[in-house]
Amino acid sequence: MTATIRRAAGAFGLIGVLLAFGAVPASAVGETIGTCMFDELLEVEEEFGKLKELKKPEHKEDLLALEEDWEKCVEAPSPILPEPDEIIWGGAAFLILFGFMWWKGFPAVQRAMQARSEKIAADLDAAEQAKTEAASVLADHEARLAGAKAEAAQIVEDARAQADLVAEEIQARANEEVAQMRARAAADIESARSQAVSDLRGVVADIAVGAAERVIKSNLDVDTQRALVDAYIDEVADGNA
Amino acid sequence: MPDERLDGYAEALLAVAAAEGRSTVIEDELFRVGEALRQNDELLAALSDSRLPIEKRQGVVEDLLGEKASAVTTALVSMVVGTGHGGRLPEIVDAMAARGAADRDRVLAKVRSAIELTEDQKTRLAQAIKSSTGADVEIRVIIDESVLGGLVTEIGDDVIDGSVRRRQSQLRENFG
Repeated sequence: MTATIRRAAGAFGLIGVLLAFGAVPASAVGETIGTCMFDELLEVEEEFGKLKELKKPEHKEDLLALEEDWEKCVEAPSPILPEPDEIIWGGAAFLILFGFMWWKGFPAVQRAMQARSEKIAADLDAAEQAKTEAASVLADHEARLAGAKAEAAQIVEDARAQADLVAEEIQARANEEVAQMRARAAADIESARSQAVSDLRGVVADIAVGAAERVIKSNLDVDTQRALVDAYIDEVADGNA
Repeated sequence: MPDERLDGYAEALLAVAAAEGRSTVIEDELFRVGEALRQNDELLAALSDSRLPIEKRQGVVEDLLGEKASAVTTALVSMVVGTGHGGRLPEIVDAMAARGAADRDRVLAKVRSAIELTEDQKTRLAQAIKSSTGADVEIRVIIDESVLGGLVTEIGDDVIDGSVRRRQSQLRENFG
């Protein structure tokens, strides 16, 4: 693109140089004040033979005309309007230059601009696509982040629920163990109490029965023994045994 | 020992006692020997210990009964021990007593007492049992001081316990 522009600029420069050297300036081909006045004198000499003829009264008007022409020669050129030949040369050069530029330069510039526009559009499209992709990636990341946050929250919630459940189980187990320990302690106490009562009763029974045995043995002489036997026989006979 | 063999030994003892013409005395002595062995586990174990020579076990019997029982009784006990059935001598004697009573149309009544009963007491007891159960019984007294007082009568599987020991047990149970 840049090379095309440079080639076009080079062509324009070359054309300008040619036009500058090929065109004749108005000052070079135009008349100076002297030549203008000299030409007017030549015309007078051709018409009247000699310049002295104009001093004659019958040529007074011609003399005045000559003076006007000379005054015209002395007058300065128009600062705005160029000389006709300059207009012709300049116009021709302009037309040629304009035609050449229309033929070569403008398409090149137009192609360069088109290429430039297309590149900018492509860059804009790429930028837009990159922006869209970035937005998509951002949205995806945000979605993942939201998912991760939700998952983390769910994990925390699950962990909390699990911890609560474990705590409840531990509490229930502890309560159950405490109840069992209390029940065992109560049973042990009751068993110990029963055993103590039983032991006490046994001791009391041993003491009482022992005392009774001692009393009985001390009183069980032969006569008593026979009396007991007789009483037994009587009970058997009576059917009370 | 199968029951047939036990009955055979019991019948043999009865036959010997009858042959000697002193059935009552010999049966009574054998019965007392059987009860004495039943109450003395160590002696019973010694008489049935197969590791001891039979002669030695028979010597123990003769030493124990030599002067306390008749020679026939001692010989019969020595015979049972010599055949290796000393450990079952109480059962053999029980079977002999039951069979002897049955031969006399009686039922054996084992009476435990702390003292010896008089013949009058034995007669009255037999009459009392007959009036109570309707059975004629033959009284065999076993001296057992653990009875303390009163009597314990066993007729087959029936037991009539009128001992002081039972009353003490009842007293102990009532305390318990």
